[in-house]
Amino acid sequence: MEPPRSSGVGIDNSGEYSPEIAETLRFEEEIQSLIHPSSFDGSAAPTGGGSFTALLGLPANQAVELLHDSGAREPLASRIRVGGHPVHRPFHLPLDCSSAFPSNATLVDRAARFSVFAAEGSPASSSGRLKAEPQDSDSPPLDPIPTGPAKRKDTGRSKCDVRLSLSFKSQAKATAKKSKNAEENTDGDKLPYVHVRARRGQATDNHSLAERARREKINVRMKLLQELVPGCSKITGTALVLDEIINHVQTLQRQVEFLSMRLAAVNPRIDFSSLDSYLSAECGPVTVRNGPGGVVVDPSLWPTDATAEATRRLLVPQFWHIDLVPPQLQPQQSLTTWERDGAAHSQLLPNPTTSLFLYDPANSGNANVPHLTAKLKTAEDRALNL
Amino acid sequence: MQLTSSFKLVFLKQMLRGFLLSDASSNSMSFHERKNAIKLSADAAIAFARGRTRWSQGLITNLSKNEKNKEILKSLLGREYDNLRKPCGNSLKIPRSKKILRRCLRMCSRRKKAGRAQHICKSILAKALAKKRIQVLKKLVPGGESMDGFSLLDETLDYAMSLKAQVDVMRRLLKTSKASLNIK
Repeated sequence: MEPPRSSGVGIDNSGEYSPEIAETLRFEEEIQSLIHPSSFDGSAAPTGGGSFTALLGLPANQAVELLHDSGAREPLASRIRVGGHPVHRPFHLPLDCSSAFPSNATLVDRAARFSVFAAEGSPASSSGRLKAEPQDSDSPPLDPIPTGPAKRKDTGRSKCDVRLSLSFKSQAKATAKKSKNAEENTDGDKLPYVHVRARRGQATDNHSLAERARREKINVRMKLLQELVPGCSKITGTALVLDEIINHVQTLQRQVEFLSMRLAAVNPRIDFSSLDSYLSAECGPVTVRNGPGGVVVDPSLWPTDATAEATRRLLVPQFWHIDLVPPQLQPQQSLTTWERDGAAHSQLLPNPTTSLFLYDPANSGNANVPHLTAKLKTAEDRALNL
Repeated sequence: MQLTSSFKLVFLKQMLRGFLLSDASSNSMSFHERKNAIKLSADAAIAFARGRTRWSQGLITNLSKNEKNKEILKSLLGREYDNLRKPCGNSLKIPRSKKILRRCLRMCSRRKKAGRAQHICKSILAKALAKKRIQVLKKLVPGGESMDGFSLLDETLDYAMSLKAQVDVMRRLLKTSKASLNIK
C-alpha cells in the first residue's frame, strides 16, 4: 500500500523536521481511514488537526503575511505566489469530504505522493495554500486563493473537497509537466524559515530547491508576459509563449522602423523650427505651471513665423488663449495640468483627434475637460475651415 | 501600467527635440540618413522617458557606439546621458558564473538521465527549446546579453510596453503631420 512508501519519503526528506514526520503519519492514517471507511476513527483526524495547528499555525501565518507584504507585482503573481507558498503541511483530509474524494486507487496513490495540499478550511493551513500549479489549466482553482489569509479564521472545511478533486485530476493529467510544477515553494528569500516537503523521488538538496524556486519565478513572469502579448493566454508551454513574445517584440521593432521611414518621407515638408523656442526652452511649461500669471507669459513664446505651416500654428494660440480665460477661475491644480499638456501640444498637433487624445486622458480627473475640449474642438473647426 | 499619456508626452517632446538637434527636417540629408536620425531620436526619447531600466541603458549604450550619434545623444539627453550609459562592469561578471552553472547543471542532468524515466528527458528537451528562444530574446532586447533569465523576462515586458507606446505616438505624429500637410 502506498502509505508506507510515503512515510518513507517523509522520513527521507524531513529527517530534521520531527513535526513533519508526525504529520505524515497522521496523514497516512487519514488516507487509510478514508479508503477503509469501516475502520474510520472519527476522533483521530480532528485531534491531529488540532495539534498540528498548534505546531505550525504561527509560522504559516507569519510566512503568508511576509509573502503578502513583499508585494507581488500583480494580483496574478501574488495569487500564484500564495498558491506556491511553502505548503509544508501534509494534506489534511477533512472528515466530511469523503464523498468528493476520488475513490480511485491510482488517484489515492498520487495523493499519497503529494507533499502538499490545500486544506482550505482548516485553521492551520487556511492561509489558502494550494498545490502550486502555475499552469493555466489550474488557474480556476487558484482563483479563490487570494482571499486565503482572510480565511484563516474560518474553520469550515467544505471547500477543500472541490480543490482536492481538482488537484487530483490535474495531477493525473499533467505528467509531462511534472518537473515544472513546484508543489512546494522555496521562496526562501522573504521568509525566515521554510519547510519543504519534496515530491516522491526528488531530492531536497539545494540544487533542486533552487531550481524549483527558479521555475516558480520564471512561471510568474511568463504569466505576466502572456497577459501582455495578445492572444497568448491560451498557449501553454514556455517555448511557445516565448515564441509569441519574440514575435511580438520583433513586430513592434519593425513597426518602429517602418514608421520612422514614413516620417522621414513626410518630414522635410514639416517645419519644426518654429517649435524651437518652445522645445529648447524647457522652462516654458514651468512658467505656465506657476499659476495664472504664467498664462500671460505663454503666448509670447509662440512663434510668429510667416511660413504656411506656422500660420496654422498661430491660429492655435489664438483659440488657446481664448480658452484659457475661463480656466483662470478654476482651481490651481486642474489649471496646471491642463496648461502643461496644452503647452506641449497645442502648437504641435492641431489635429482634433490627436489633441483630444492628449488632453482627455491627462486630465481625466478634471471636470473642466469636457468643457475645454469642446471649446477646443469648435475652435479647431474654425481653424480648419480657414 | 506605465502607459500613461504623460509618459507619451515626455517621449514625444524628447523625440521632437531630437529631430531638431539632428536636423532631421532639413533637405540636406538623404532619405536614409533622415530615417536613421528619426529612429535615433525616437529610441533615445523612449529610453529617456522610461528612465533607468536595463534595457534603456543598453539601448543608449548601443546607440552611443556610433560616434556621430554620441554628440546628438549628449545634447539631447543632457544630464541623463551619464545615468543612462550602462556601466560595463556587469557584462563581464555574469557570463563567467553562467559557464560554471551550466557545467554543473549539465552534470546533474546527466546523472539524473542515467537512472530516470522518460519524462525527465522531456523536461530537458523543453529546457533546450526554451533556452534557444531565450537566446533569441536576448538579442532582441537591448542590453539583454548580460541579463539572467528572470530579469530578462521583466525587461522584455517593460520593453514591449514601451515599444507599444513608441509605435502609438509615432503613428499619431505621422497622422497629424500628414493631416496638417493636406490642409495646406
